[in-house]
Amino acid sequence: MNELVIALGWAGLCGAMALGAIGSIIGCAIAGQAAIGAMVDTDSGYGRYIGISVMPSSQVIYGIVIMFTLQREVTAETAPALFGIGILAGLALLFSAVRQGQACASAIHASKTKPEIFGLSLAPAAIVEGFAVFAFVFALVLAGGIPA
Amino acid sequence: MTDSHRYAMLLSALPAHGALFAARQTPLSRLRLEQRLTQLDDEDARTLRTLRTLLEWAEQDPRSSDQAVLERARRLIPTLPDPFARDLADWRLEMRTLICALRHRHRGEPPPSERRWGHGRWSGQVHRHWNEPAFRLERACPWLPEAARRLDQGDALGLERLLLRTVWDHLERLHDGHHFDFAAVIIYALRWDLVARWTSYHHERALTRFDDLVETALDGVELMPEVAA
Repeated sequence: MNELVIALGWAGLCGAMALGAIGSIIGCAIAGQAAIGAMVDTDSGYGRYIGISVMPSSQVIYGIVIMFTLQREVTAETAPALFGIGILAGLALLFSAVRQGQACASAIHASKTKPEIFGLSLAPAAIVEGFAVFAFVFALVLAGGIPA
Repeated sequence: MTDSHRYAMLLSALPAHGALFAARQTPLSRLRLEQRLTQLDDEDARTLRTLRTLLEWAEQDPRSSDQAVLERARRLIPTLPDPFARDLADWRLEMRTLICALRHRHRGEPPPSERRWGHGRWSGQVHRHWNEPAFRLERACPWLPEAARRLDQGDALGLERLLLRTVWDHLERLHDGHHFDFAAVIIYALRWDLVARWTSYHHERALTRFDDLVETALDGVELMPEVAA
């Protein structure tokens, strides 16, 4: 039983980063494909499309920071907290990255046809980023309460 | 998780359609469209090809009988693996069945005697209410009374515009919730077909053709001197 709790603690420790990375992979791939398609159809603004398509990469960075913040000796006392914070923050980062990738793909598609809405079309992706920041910040706050 | 965005690259590479009746040409050439559609996977490419074979006017053989067209539809639609494509094919062919019924009735013909004379849900309803202006389908097909009126008035252009607009709006409604999936590709391709059809109409060429027909019909007919003058 003790070993299982320790294993879950390690899963939580690594989970924030791993789940964030999975989300960023999917999100960047979706937005990146839309960016490539838009570049085929247009003669300018390539940098803009690529710039938007990397927005979902921030989640993996948040995941790495959470992982380092949680990093401490994994014991039966610390493991449940590490698991809870790490996995739940990781899931939030994963979903936010995937959805942000989809929002970015739509923004690329829309701003290709109407360049004047470029800034406004990024608002949904920025709002999704805000929720990822919530998950990140409060994971850090809660991590401060785990005994070292 | 990403199936809804399977064709993000393909659809972003396709230029947007503008307003249907304002279009002077298709947003990209047929060759370019076909090139881009090579990004579809094999099964989706087959589905789209079958759907366009059934629905695109350019793919229809004008010498085919109604029965042959219906037989082909009954054979091909069940082979479509995508339910969205099947529903769309059924809807378009039901619409054509209703237009076909309007045209037959306009020519003064009686209701069709064959049991399976049309495609879809409305064949029986049309048969039962043959003499009603819109076959009592005003609620299910709000465009039908207007189509019947335009047909009776001989307003061919108005009727064509109405039918194209109805299909265009239907595709627009279906587009909700489909941005980068296969359904979005189908909608794009079918709207491209509508734009191609509308922009292929040429007023001046139609007038020239009409003059030629009149000339052929009057060939050898002697007009009275005061009329000829």
